Amino acid sequence: MILHLNHTRQESAAASTSEVVSTFLTLLEEGHLSAAQFARLQIYLDWLQYKQNFREPITLMQSAGQTPSMEVRIDSRQVSPGCLRQLVQKAIQPDAGSPGPIYLEDFRSLRSSIVWDFNQLYWQRLKDWERATGKSYEKALPGGVSDGHHPQAISDSARDFWKLLKDLETRNQLPAEIFVLEIGVGLAMRAGMWLDRFRALDQENGTSYYPRVRFLLGDYSLSTLERSRPAVKKHIDLCSFIALDALDPTKALSFLRHKVLHVHSSNMYDNLPDEEVVWRDNRLYWVQVRAYIPPEEAVRIGSAFGLAVDGVVRTVNRLLEVGPNALPDPEKGMGFWMEIWKAIRFEERLVDAVDLPEVALPAGLSYVQMEDILKDAPGDLRLHLSSGALESFRNTLPLLHPRGYLHVQDIFVTDLHEYCMGFYGPGKLDGSIVNWVNGALLREVAHRAGYDLHFAPFRYRVGSKTSILYTTQRE
Amino acid sequence: MTVPILPTTMVGSYSMPGWLERLKTDYFARRISRHDLDEIHDCAVRSAIKDQEMAGLDIVTDGELRRDNMIDYFIERLPGIQIDRSSKKFYYDFYDSEVLGKIPMAALGLVDDFKFLLANTERETKFCITGPHSLCKRVRNKYYPSDEALATDIARVMNMELKELVKAGAKLIQIDEPYYSGFPEDLPWGVEVLNKLVEGVNAKIAVHICYGNRYGKPSWEGSYRYLFPSILEAKVQQLSLEFARRGGEDLDLFREFSPPFELGAGVIDVKDQAVESPDIVAERIRKVAKFVPLEKISVLPDCGLFHLPRDIAFAKLRAMVDGTKIVRKELGR
Repeated sequence: MILHLNHTRQESAAASTSEVVSTFLTLLEEGHLSAAQFARLQIYLDWLQYKQNFREPITLMQSAGQTPSMEVRIDSRQVSPGCLRQLVQKAIQPDAGSPGPIYLEDFRSLRSSIVWDFNQLYWQRLKDWERATGKSYEKALPGGVSDGHHPQAISDSARDFWKLLKDLETRNQLPAEIFVLEIGVGLAMRAGMWLDRFRALDQENGTSYYPRVRFLLGDYSLSTLERSRPAVKKHIDLCSFIALDALDPTKALSFLRHKVLHVHSSNMYDNLPDEEVVWRDNRLYWVQVRAYIPPEEAVRIGSAFGLAVDGVVRTVNRLLEVGPNALPDPEKGMGFWMEIWKAIRFEERLVDAVDLPEVALPAGLSYVQMEDILKDAPGDLRLHLSSGALESFRNTLPLLHPRGYLHVQDIFVTDLHEYCMGFYGPGKLDGSIVNWVNGALLREVAHRAGYDLHFAPFRYRVGSKTSILYTTQRE
Repeated sequence: MTVPILPTTMVGSYSMPGWLERLKTDYFARRISRHDLDEIHDCAVRSAIKDQEMAGLDIVTDGELRRDNMIDYFIERLPGIQIDRSSKKFYYDFYDSEVLGKIPMAALGLVDDFKFLLANTERETKFCITGPHSLCKRVRNKYYPSDEALATDIARVMNMELKELVKAGAKLIQIDEPYYSGFPEDLPWGVEVLNKLVEGVNAKIAVHICYGNRYGKPSWEGSYRYLFPSILEAKVQQLSLEFARRGGEDLDLFREFSPPFELGAGVIDVKDQAVESPDIVAERIRKVAKFVPLEKISVLPDCGLFHLPRDIAFAKLRAMVDGTKIVRKELGR
């Protein structure tokens, strides 16, 4: 048996390594595990970053790799003290007579999973969700506040940009129009504060940059763009509201190729479609998922909302089409949505990349590059591909002016070895999905595109997990 | 062989295939030998020449596929420049290099590349080199009193190589000086150095000045106005400038200053993978012709096609040729 200890959280982990070892030895002694099974057992003891997630406390998977083995993943945070043995035994010897999970889809890449439809529904019906929970989205964040709105961080950002403009002016290279782009605007609080600060700086220094600024607020949601207007009303003459796909901003803004001096986004990459891969035995495997509702949860939710178990799945599909109106009483529809979202879990399997010739890595990454990147990584590594973030990043770079830069405030894994010390999503954040972003892969893609990437810890709030990614031109 | 009116040619580099990038990097990682890499380069260059011929170009280059980038291929041939060979992780990276003493005279070995090109095509040829100004900006200067002094000495060594190229049959030589756009304040001495480089070189000389194409993106922005009037002193026959991506605003400068040069007009945007239609190319040529006599126009992409996938690079060249044919037909030529 090999035990992979994938976290460093001794105090907050409910399941300890000694408990895990003694549990499996006991199961072996009692004959619940054969010696052959025990010899091929791989146990991964994780600590999941998000308490609300898609995992059962114990997940069993027939493992891929050159030597087939049984893979048990334990969420050391979710397992209640003293329950480990019972949960493991149930996982490895399920009761043949008990009902199976209620599947919502077939196996597929995480990126294509139905959970992203839930994520989209959340952002479309954010007001409904906030009304139902009685708290704003921001209050649902781990610190109850978004680092994206930190006044000092915004002030520093405006100052750095002003300095760039000053330098360009000194070199006689300041463009007539100064384009700034914010992708994923939320309520535009940051944009409003940034413009306030930038105008003040401009006035203090007697420069005349402010009137030349063309501030573009980009978001895929027209209603979000509409909601963002009041926050920038003092600067409305400089602002343009543009519907764009965060995965490919260049599509909507192709007329600004090589012209934008500053692109910013906050907490966007962590909510873009993602998928996971496993690097094992020098081979790449895709993690495929199948979303399901545990049977006991399906029964409970069904009875709470007057639905038979098979009606639960039909109502889920209806929910994703029409929102809370899926039930005659929309308030009940909201309740149904929240209960289902809380209950959704993933079954997982690994598929060798060579068996999925139709599945492509995100643009900017090839399998050869992935092998290069991973050749020095730990031998058995599960990591985010951050496909949505990579796509967005790569498709944003062509907008940058030769002296322009990209700032992304988000949660990043900056070294692949960190994946051996934590599990960084997918998690559930309120009604949305959250994944940390694989900064190490972003760095490689940036390198090939002519940029160096830097990650600065968010120093404005103690305990913040946010980092600030910024680009510099690569010579 | 004579070329038609509005001759078509590349700026220099052709699409770098992914497999060749991989093999070049393998060479730097000591996974393949120099001999194998040379053979691979020969095949790649032949293929690049063939593609240009198939696309219909009037003047072909070797596609510069032997080069890692526009700097290192020359820096590592210049004697006296110290290179940290461990500084390159990916083949396209620049070496860290420094000059610690006077650069001695030496052959740079470019003539072999030219002879290979000549042996593999019956079309007119162009041979391209990176100019001394651009080279001096990438070398840490620990010996010469100024960048100008370093560039002048590089020009002295390269001048001999250019004369050897002419002896080998080179009729059209292009000097690439994109760093002018990054350091416009250097232009007055940059032109003097350029003149030293081409002094006594009995070939048609073109100088290519763009806003950079490193990693397929511009390194600088601005207006070609900075070139004037200093560039008028250059003893070259052709200026090669980019107008597709940047638009034709700077063409006004040709009316304002009436430079004596021919114009190699960039009519293909090499930083965008969208392939231009022949009609768009024709329109761009017509626009250039409003400012420069047709007899003095050559038709080119904005810069090298290095960063474009091969199929797109080829399609762009073909569109360029077809667009040029449209204009020639209108002229009855």
